[in-house]
Amino acid sequence: MANNWLDRITEKMTRQTARSTSRRGFLGSLGTLLIGAGAFTLLPVYRQGAFAATSVDEEGDPNSCDYWRHCAIDGFLCGCCGGTASTCPPGTVKSDITWIGTCRNPTDGKDYIISYNDCCGKSNCGRCICQRDQGDTPIYRPQSSNDLNWCTGSQANVPYHCSLSVVIGVKEH
Amino acid sequence: MRGLLVALLLAAAPAWATEPAQADYMLNCQGCHLPDGRGFPERQVPDLRKQMGRFLRVPGGREYLVQVPGAAQTALADADLARLLNWMLNSFSAAEVPVDFQPYTAAEVGLLRQHPLASPSSIRVELLVQIARHEQMQPAGDMPHE
Repeated sequence: MANNWLDRITEKMTRQTARSTSRRGFLGSLGTLLIGAGAFTLLPVYRQGAFAATSVDEEGDPNSCDYWRHCAIDGFLCGCCGGTASTCPPGTVKSDITWIGTCRNPTDGKDYIISYNDCCGKSNCGRCICQRDQGDTPIYRPQSSNDLNWCTGSQANVPYHCSLSVVIGVKEH
Repeated sequence: MRGLLVALLLAAAPAWATEPAQADYMLNCQGCHLPDGRGFPERQVPDLRKQMGRFLRVPGGREYLVQVPGAAQTALADADLARLLNWMLNSFSAAEVPVDFQPYTAAEVGLLRQHPLASPSSIRVELLVQIARHEQMQPAGDMPHE
């Protein structure tokens, strides 16, 4: 009987734990944690580029020149070149320096702020060329001219491959 | 707790809009100065961070921030340009803004825009020299933390 002290301590601790916790309580807090982790990422915090694909209610084919986000595009659609409308194809680098304008989303009638970054590092993609140029100004007003190769102006500094249409904000009405 | 979660989930979904001053920044400045104001100094796009506020400390600097072509020549209305400059100072260089700084107003901005700078880059260099001198004379306390 001298050796059962470990049994007694274990029993005491187990009973203590059983008294002060409940299985339902554990399930409840686990549920809160899971839902909370999901909800936290939905908080209306500005995350650059993060709402590009998620929260915009839209219609249309991103690989067509008529797609609403491409309203001021001038170049090859990256979606036809191995990337998407907001991500560069593998092997290319996104230019930081970019042309920014707005496009109206016909689905919700809001004006979204679109960044037309170029993807650089490979020669011309050659597929899905689009030239819509809404809001573009002649080159003698360079601040709003899009006839520039953003690859040469940016850290990428390599040949132009294709163009993105990234939603970076939405204008208030 | 559950009510709060439900409210958050409902609120998070549709009703977001970019702050108006930031939207103006995006449309008029961000293409070159980049989202965080970092710019691209290697290609003559100045870094705004920890810099803008310094211009307010020397004579002519306050005027320069309005008259620099990138600001003066935007299509923004005077009131919007004033709001944008105040927002940029606060966002990119709050620590360097002098404590007695009076925010830009539409009237001030409108007046300054009527007098474009003939050679902005040489004025900028002069101001930067003045800023460096000013900071040498007041080394401790007043210096921004880098």
